[in-house]
Amino acid sequence: MKPDWRVVAAIAMVAVLVVATVVYLVLTQDHEKKTLRLATTTSTYDSGLLSYILPDFEEKYNCKVDVIAVGSGQALEMGKNGDVDVLLVHSPASEIKFVIDGYGEGRTLVMYNNFVIAGPSGDGAGTNSSRNATQAFTKIHDNGTTGNTKFISRGDNSGTNTKELSLWTSAGFNASQFSNSWYLSAGQGMGAVLDMCEQMNAYTLSDDATYYQRVSVNLIPHLNITYQGDPGLFNQYSVIPINATKWTHVNHTLAIDFKGWITSTGGQDLIASYVKYGHQLFFPNAPRNIPATMSSGIELHPGMPIGTVICNSASAGRIGPIAFVDVSKM
Amino acid sequence: MVTLLSLYVSGIATILGSAIGIPLGALIGLKEFGGKGAVKTVTYTLYGFPPVLSGLLIYYLFSRSGPLGSFGILFTPTAMILAETLLVIPLVTGVTITSVMEVDRSVKDTVRALGATSRQTTLTIMREAWVGLVMACMIGFGRVIAEVGAAYLVGGNIEGKTRVLTTAIMLETRMGNFGWAIALGAVLLSVAMAVFFFLRLLQEKEML
Repeated sequence: MKPDWRVVAAIAMVAVLVVATVVYLVLTQDHEKKTLRLATTTSTYDSGLLSYILPDFEEKYNCKVDVIAVGSGQALEMGKNGDVDVLLVHSPASEIKFVIDGYGEGRTLVMYNNFVIAGPSGDGAGTNSSRNATQAFTKIHDNGTTGNTKFISRGDNSGTNTKELSLWTSAGFNASQFSNSWYLSAGQGMGAVLDMCEQMNAYTLSDDATYYQRVSVNLIPHLNITYQGDPGLFNQYSVIPINATKWTHVNHTLAIDFKGWITSTGGQDLIASYVKYGHQLFFPNAPRNIPATMSSGIELHPGMPIGTVICNSASAGRIGPIAFVDVSKM
Repeated sequence: MVTLLSLYVSGIATILGSAIGIPLGALIGLKEFGGKGAVKTVTYTLYGFPPVLSGLLIYYLFSRSGPLGSFGILFTPTAMILAETLLVIPLVTGVTITSVMEVDRSVKDTVRALGATSRQTTLTIMREAWVGLVMACMIGFGRVIAEVGAAYLVGGNIEGKTRVLTTAIMLETRMGNFGWAIALGAVLLSVAMAVFFFLRLLQEKEML
């Protein structure tokens, strides 16, 4: 039978694809190295911190860290399903519930940065002269309801969103009742929300890292940080290994190694040395002398009453004053 | 390399999806059976199957807490291929149905009259429908090389492992590097152009 050149061409194309695949897989395979799956948030990943600090961990423990960057809500969900080995997130109330419900083996503080209020450079709502973040939010609300300004919320269950909602609550409002004539729920990442604020002359709550990043690519020339500095605006990051009793397949050893490394002097120094856009973006605040054994999720230190969680205040230095906070008040 | 992985994932998905979709489409198009109309409608409806939904489905199936979790394929290219194959199948099936139906009327009777068996008839119809069949593959490939919802969800956009062109574009856009995002988009279109050019040659070769 005469060879049909269509068939030959089709086979050739498939062969090329297969060869390319095999070449690719061979070149990228790293059989000797163990893998740690880390779920983190988009803002953490996008800051570039992990690309900066992880090579140290990968070298010391001869492994590869697969970083999956999604929203806080999604990261916690992936942790519940046992699809990752360890979490690095910044949503304290959700994290505590996660650990208490048995999905995580303890929650260890790692570092913090700060939320800021970003808004139109004219600061029409006058947030700059506020006593604290709660008062700034009240001013935004008052200006919003009179049609003077707008606020854009992440609206996506992220750590930032959770903090934003808690600020509205502490100011005495119920954000779910806000009119969308001034309060807009975007359901998007921080960068996109900042872009929207730029276009719509609106305020938002942002982490400082994403704000500086947006400034560096010149996307938000008409926005400023209109309020910052309130200790209540601090944004705590924690590391949570996934419960290996519940999910026996997780890489538990490496997850514990990771926790140990990131809270060690070496890891903490690395975090502090990360400077981008002219700023130190993250401030290490892991507690010293973490006990080797932990109870089901709540960190215990000698002399500490059961049922309390350690929380650092924002003005602290690297370790800083430690305040005991009742879980029910988070 | 991100581009190579894009080609690999979308290419295999198209091949797998076509391997299922073309025979399925021929079967639906050529055979008479009760409920044929409903089957066709459902197939065409699935043209609008959201990629992110396909991703969610695969995620729930292969999550460690899901029924097929012990295979551990989540966050690997394999999961991405499965999710994309699901998207290709309805498209290829639907276009194949239409293509064979176009041919059916004029050719089937002639070939039958010349004494062809059922199998020979079907094969002849398929050859006549060649242009449509290649188009089915083209459309399937176009759909998955461009999708991002499923790839992101079941792949995780892990650098060096599951990052493809579309998820890389998402990342660059999210970080505000619009220039990079557009450049990656241009790369994607170039890659697609090469594939489609080849497929077009395949398509236009004269039938014997």
